[in-house]
Amino acid sequence: MKPFFILMNKEYFQMIRDFKIIWLPIVFIFLGMTQPVLTYYLPAILGALGGGQGITIDPTMVQQEGGQVLATTLGSQFDQLGIMIIVISMMAMIQADKASGMLAFILTRPVTVWSYIAGKIISNYLLVIVSVTFGYFVSYLYVSYLFTDVPISHMLLALLIYLTWVLFMVSFTLMISTIFNGQGVIALIGIVFLLICRMIIGIHPTIDLINPAGMSQHAMSLLVTGSVDSSLYVNLIITFLWVLFTLLVSHFWISQKKFQQD
Amino acid sequence: MKLEINNVSKRFKDKTAVNQFSMELEIGQCVGLIGPNGAGKSTLIKIIADILHSDEGEVLLDGKRISKMKREIGYLPQYPNFFQWMTARETLLFMGQLSGISKKRLIEDIPTILAKVGLTGEQNRKVRTFSGGMKQRLGIAQALLHKPSLIVMDEPVSALDPIGRREVLNLIQEIKKETTILLSTHILSDAEEICERFVIIKDGTKIEDTTMTELISRNHEPVVYVEIAPKDHSWIQLVDQLPYVKKTEMMGSKVKITLENIDVHKNMLIQNALDNDVDIVRFEVSGNDTLEEIFLKLVVSA
Repeated sequence: MKPFFILMNKEYFQMIRDFKIIWLPIVFIFLGMTQPVLTYYLPAILGALGGGQGITIDPTMVQQEGGQVLATTLGSQFDQLGIMIIVISMMAMIQADKASGMLAFILTRPVTVWSYIAGKIISNYLLVIVSVTFGYFVSYLYVSYLFTDVPISHMLLALLIYLTWVLFMVSFTLMISTIFNGQGVIALIGIVFLLICRMIIGIHPTIDLINPAGMSQHAMSLLVTGSVDSSLYVNLIITFLWVLFTLLVSHFWISQKKFQQD
Repeated sequence: MKLEINNVSKRFKDKTAVNQFSMELEIGQCVGLIGPNGAGKSTLIKIIADILHSDEGEVLLDGKRISKMKREIGYLPQYPNFFQWMTARETLLFMGQLSGISKKRLIEDIPTILAKVGLTGEQNRKVRTFSGGMKQRLGIAQALLHKPSLIVMDEPVSALDPIGRREVLNLIQEIKKETTILLSTHILSDAEEICERFVIIKDGTKIEDTTMTELISRNHEPVVYVEIAPKDHSWIQLVDQLPYVKKTEMMGSKVKITLENIDVHKNMLIQNALDNDVDIVRFEVSGNDTLEEIFLKLVVSA
């Protein structure tokens, strides 16, 4: 267990050194702010900037529920720009260690592959949790200020559900970072795959059930309707299985020394 | 401590990097693994350091698989990179803790080890700013930190300038008194300087496993080199006919003459030259072949 803590410490140390621990939460705070602020002021902005003639803004459209706006923060901000930011900030997770030879070097010490992977994913996931939570809370504050209140229990539960989808994003990026060597390829595959996962929601109920992005949908419907669908639990278990799968693939790849083939 | 390498083979796609390689290493020895570029030295070193899996065979330390004995091995990669954003001291703390040493003991030990590798004043500088020689010395410090019984070094001096090379060689001379060392190199004079025993590897196969003295005495040839004025070159054909001459060979302006028995025959050869009124410019009884010549002979011909 000990090497795991040393490796995790090193990750945090590195995040502090390159200020990731500051900029990632800030980016998410901005993302979280954007949706409620834009939704609220958009009619005013349009009225002030656009040639107003001929455009009528339906006044009922503005009257959005707070839960709806918070849900759109997840669905439109975090699930689009957010995915790209998470993948890009995590893509070097293992790839950088492979490129510098540090991965091989670390494994010449009495360190198991699992403690290496666990150190990576837990430290990075915690950072993303903190960033997403900050962004989400800021969004929540704006929503309660500008729109109607959202029940705190719904808000917290939706965050927990959403964070399992985030866990999959991080573990998937970790797997891609383990297998591929170019940062561009890692970013491309990571972003495209996760965006596709998010986009195909609603095509078919069975696909939704095994799609980790379904968790995002569950979080959103909880915020909008105030209740969760019964398929949440199956979806939750399958998402955890996907996460386990990505970690097993990464473990296999590293312990078989596949990264050493050049 | 005893390292056994048993019939290790490693293939990369179509190329066999290491082929049925076996050797044993006893405590306190310093062994140089030498061979031309691409001979499989690095691959073998990586298998011993458990960075690569071998396709066949096994590496045992004290009879146990090497992957279970990582604590007993110190490894220095060919280009030790470390984390660029760490300071020298942090690097040693990190690697030391990974090797299972407590932080408290490391804090006590690190100044001593930094002094040993001559980096005392540099402990709080980032690794990014280090020169190649300094990185190599930090790498050695890291390999020594957990007091391993075997240190494996991949080309420890090949990438360094003459000053860095000298520093690292002196350091290896120093640590060789305390531990067992296996190092690979293609620079023979370095191996000659620090190691007693050589293993020569070519195309992944071991072609020689011997000591310096053995190698030289085995390759001691009864040879004289004669340089003569160009007008007398016809004498060489004459020499070739002499009963005690085994072989003549032109080497530029010199003739290499191999005799049956150097002590008895060299004066007879001079006498013969004088009798034929040959203009001798130089007459030299050969010294031993240098390691380099022996190496070339082994690697190129075999």
